[in-house]
Amino acid sequence: MSTTYVGALELASGAVLVSAVMTLWRRQVRSIVTMLSLQGMGLAAVAIILAVHEHDKALLVTGGLVFVVKGLVVPGLLRRVSKLDSNSRESEPLVNVPSSLVFAAVLIVLSYVVSSRVTSFAPTEATHLTPIGIATVLVGYFMLVTRRRAVSKIVGLILVDNGIALVTFLLTSGVPLIVELGSSLDVLLVVVVLQFLVVSMGRHLRTDELAEMKALRD
Amino acid sequence: MVLLLLGLGAGLAAAVASGALPLRPRVPVAASLGAVGCALAFAAAMRVLVTGSVESFHTMKFLPMIGLTLSLDPLGAVFVVASALVGFAACVYCIGYARGGLQSRTAMALLMIFIVTLLAVPVAASIVSFMFCWELMALSSMLLILTDQLHSREARSAALWYGVMTQLGAASILLGLLLITVHGGGQTFADLKAHSSGLSSTIRSFAFVLTLLGFVSKAGAVPLHVWLPKAHPEAPSPVSALMSGAMVAMGVYGIVRIGADLLHGGTTWWWVLVALFGAASALYGALHATTSTDIKRLLAYSTIDFLGLVLIGVGAAGALLDTGQPGAARLALVAALLLVIAHAGFKGALFLGAGAVERATGTRNLDQLGGLIHRMPGTALLFALSAGSIMAIPTLSGFSSEWLLLQGLLHGFADRSTPTLIIMLLGIVALALTGGLTAVAFVKAFGIGFLGQPRSSGAANAVDVAPTMKIAMALLVLPSIVIGVVPGVVMPLINRAATVGLGTNASSPIAKGSGLVLSQLRGAIQPAELLMGLVLVFVAIWFAQLGLAQRRARRVDAWGCGRDVQTPRMQYTATSFAEPLQRVFADVLRPQSDVEVTHVAESQYYEQSLLYENQVRDVLEQHGYRPIIDAAIRAGKSARRIQNGSIHRYLAFGFVALLIILVVLA
Repeated sequence: MSTTYVGALELASGAVLVSAVMTLWRRQVRSIVTMLSLQGMGLAAVAIILAVHEHDKALLVTGGLVFVVKGLVVPGLLRRVSKLDSNSRESEPLVNVPSSLVFAAVLIVLSYVVSSRVTSFAPTEATHLTPIGIATVLVGYFMLVTRRRAVSKIVGLILVDNGIALVTFLLTSGVPLIVELGSSLDVLLVVVVLQFLVVSMGRHLRTDELAEMKALRD
Repeated sequence: MVLLLLGLGAGLAAAVASGALPLRPRVPVAASLGAVGCALAFAAAMRVLVTGSVESFHTMKFLPMIGLTLSLDPLGAVFVVASALVGFAACVYCIGYARGGLQSRTAMALLMIFIVTLLAVPVAASIVSFMFCWELMALSSMLLILTDQLHSREARSAALWYGVMTQLGAASILLGLLLITVHGGGQTFADLKAHSSGLSSTIRSFAFVLTLLGFVSKAGAVPLHVWLPKAHPEAPSPVSALMSGAMVAMGVYGIVRIGADLLHGGTTWWWVLVALFGAASALYGALHATTSTDIKRLLAYSTIDFLGLVLIGVGAAGALLDTGQPGAARLALVAALLLVIAHAGFKGALFLGAGAVERATGTRNLDQLGGLIHRMPGTALLFALSAGSIMAIPTLSGFSSEWLLLQGLLHGFADRSTPTLIIMLLGIVALALTGGLTAVAFVKAFGIGFLGQPRSSGAANAVDVAPTMKIAMALLVLPSIVIGVVPGVVMPLINRAATVGLGTNASSPIAKGSGLVLSQLRGAIQPAELLMGLVLVFVAIWFAQLGLAQRRARRVDAWGCGRDVQTPRMQYTATSFAEPLQRVFADVLRPQSDVEVTHVAESQYYEQSLLYENQVRDVLEQHGYRPIIDAAIRAGKSARRIQNGSIHRYLAFGFVALLIILVVLA
C-alpha cells in the first residue's frame, strides 16, 4: 500500500513538472495548451491520491474540481483563443528553446536546494516532493518572462498557479475546499479576462506579441 | 457628552442629507442640520468650560478592534468652541453662498464632514481616534479646495501642496505618538499621560519634536507654511474661513495637548523652539500680508502671522512654567487660548467678507476694487469691525488678547535665565512689529477695497450679498465685541482650559470682573469703561458740532493737481500703498519689479504704453522648497530609465528578484 501510494504520488507530481518543462520545449501554441491540460490532470491526480490515502472526502471534491477547471475548462478556453489565429507559433522566444531547457534544469536544482529547509520541518513522503512544486512555479515564471505571445504568457501564469497549488497539496494535504474553490475560480476569471484582451489585441494590433505594445506607456 | 454626540450626529446627518437630497433642498437642509450640530457641540463645550468637568465616551463601533475614544475636557472645549463658532457661521453663510461647485452632493457632504472632524479632533482621546479624525479633516479640506474651481491650475497645485505637506505632517505626528506608546504602553491619551513620565528624556524629546513638526506645519508656522497661502485663497470662502479660523488652530491644540498635557511639559528648550517658530511666522506672515494684493492671500498670510503670536504665547507659557513662574505662564497660555477664539471670530468673518466681495465683484484683487462701502454697506461695516479687531483696536477682541500676551511676556522678565529671556525679547519685538504691519495690511484691505472710487466695472456694479451671508458674518463679529468689551466674562472659562494645559492649580493672576485686572502683577484694562468714555466723547463732539456748525456743509471738488478730469485710476492702489514698506523690507521680501516702455514709432520721447509689473513671491518657497522638488523630479526622471515600456522587462524584474530572494534565503 505504502509503496504504491508513494510511487503514484511521485508519478503524478513528476508529470506536473515534466509537462511544465514540455511547455518550454514545444513551440506550437496548440501543443503548449495540451501540455497545460496534462498538467492540470496531473495536479488533480496528486490531490486525489492524497485524498484516498488520507481518507479525506473534501480533498476528493477539490481534486475533482481541479480536474474540471484546470484540466478541461481553462485549456479549452485557451484552445479557442489559439484557433482564432492560424499562425499560432511561438516563433522566436526571447530565450531560445535549448537554452530555456538548460535554464529550466538550473531552476529545478535551485528549487531542490531552496526547499531542503522546508522539507526538514516535516519529513514525510509528500513533503519530500515540494521541490517539484517550487520548480514548477519557477519554470512557469520563466515562461512568463521569456515568451512573446500573450497566450504563452497566460500559460506561464497558470503554470505558476499550478505550482503553488501543488506545493499546498503536498505540504498541507490540501487546503480547505473554499480556498481552493476561490483560487481556482480566480484563475478562471483571469483567463477569461485575458482571453478577451488577447482577442481584442489581435483585432487592433493584428498580433498578440506583447513587444508591440511599448507605445502604450504613458 | 450626550450633547456633543448629538452634535456630531447632526453633522453626520447633514453629510448624509447632502448626499441624498436633490439640488433644491440640499444646501438649506444640510446647512441647517450642520448648524444645529455646531450649536449642540458649542453648548456641550460651554458646559464643560463653565463646570470644569471632564466627559468621556468610548465605543467599539466606528473603528474596528480599537474603537472610538472621546473625551471632552476644558482644553479641548476651547477649540471645540472655536470650531463650532466658525462652523455655525459657515453653515449659515452657505445657504446664501453655495452656487456651482459647492452645491454638488460631494462638496456639501465633504463640507459637513470637515465641520464634524473639526469638532471631533479636540475631543478624540486615543491615538487611533485622533489620527482618524485628523486625517479625515485633512482629506476633506484638501478635496474642498478643488470644489469651486476643479479645472484651475492654481487650485490643483494648491491642493497638491497642501496634500503632500499635511500627509508628511500627519506621518510625523503618528511617528511621535507611536514613539510614546511603544516605550510607555497604552493607546488612549489617559494611558499615554500616565506612562509618559516613566520615559527617558531623549525619547520624550524625540516624540515632542516629531509631533511638533507635524503640528506647526498644520498651524502654518514658517518655514512649513508654504501650503497655507496657496490653499486658503483657492478654497471656497466658507472653507477658507473654517481652515483659517478653526483648522490651523488644531496645530496649536496638538502642541498643547501632547507637549504640555501628555508629556507633562518636558524641558525648556522645547518651548523655546515653539516660540522661535512663532516669532518667525509672526514676522514673515505680517510682512507678506502687507504686500499681498489678493485679499484672500492677504488674509492667509495674516493667519500665519496670528498663529505665530499664538505659538509665542504657548512657547512662553511652557518656558515660564519650567522656570518656576506659574503666574506669568498662566497669563501667556490664557492669552494664547483667547487669541485662538478671537482669531476664529474675526478671521472667520474676514474670510466670509472676502467671499462676499468676491461674489459681488467677481475679483479678489484689491487693485480692482474700491468704493464698496456705498454698494455693500452691511458687509463693509462687518469687515471694518473685524479688521479693527485684528488690528488690535481697543474695545475689540484682538486688543484684549494681545494685551494679555504682552503682559505675560513682560512679567516673564522677572526670570533672568537665558532661554526665557530669548522668548520674552523675541516675543515682545514680534508682537510690536507685527502689530504695526498688521495695521498697515488691514488699513490697506479696508481702505483700498471699500473706500474711494471703484477701480473696475465689477466693483462699480457690485450688489450687496444675500442676507444669510451677512448674518453669518455678524455672528462671527459678535465674539470680537464680547471678548473686546467684557473680556473678564470669558476669563474664568479660558482659565479652566489653561489649568489643563499647565497641569498646575496655581491661582489665576486675573481678578474677577468685566475687565482685565491683574492681581499680584501690575496692569489693568477696563474696555467697557473705555467704550463708555469713547461714546461719551463722541456724543459730546456731536452736540458741540450741532451747536457750533450753523453753516450747511459745502460740497466742492477735491483739488485735482491741476487736471480737469479725475479718474479712479489716479487713486492709491494696494500695490502703491504697500510700496514704501516693500522697499524697506526688500531684503526679506525680494520683490521682482519690471517696467516695460513702448515708444511711439515717430519719436522715442513719447511713450505709447507703459507696463509695470510687481511680484512678491514667497522667498522660502523659491529658495527652500524649489530645490528639493527639483531634485525629486530629477531622481524620478533618472529612475524612469529602467522603465522602457517592455512588459518582458517588467516581468523579468520580478523573476530576478524572486530568484535573488530564494538564493539569499537558501
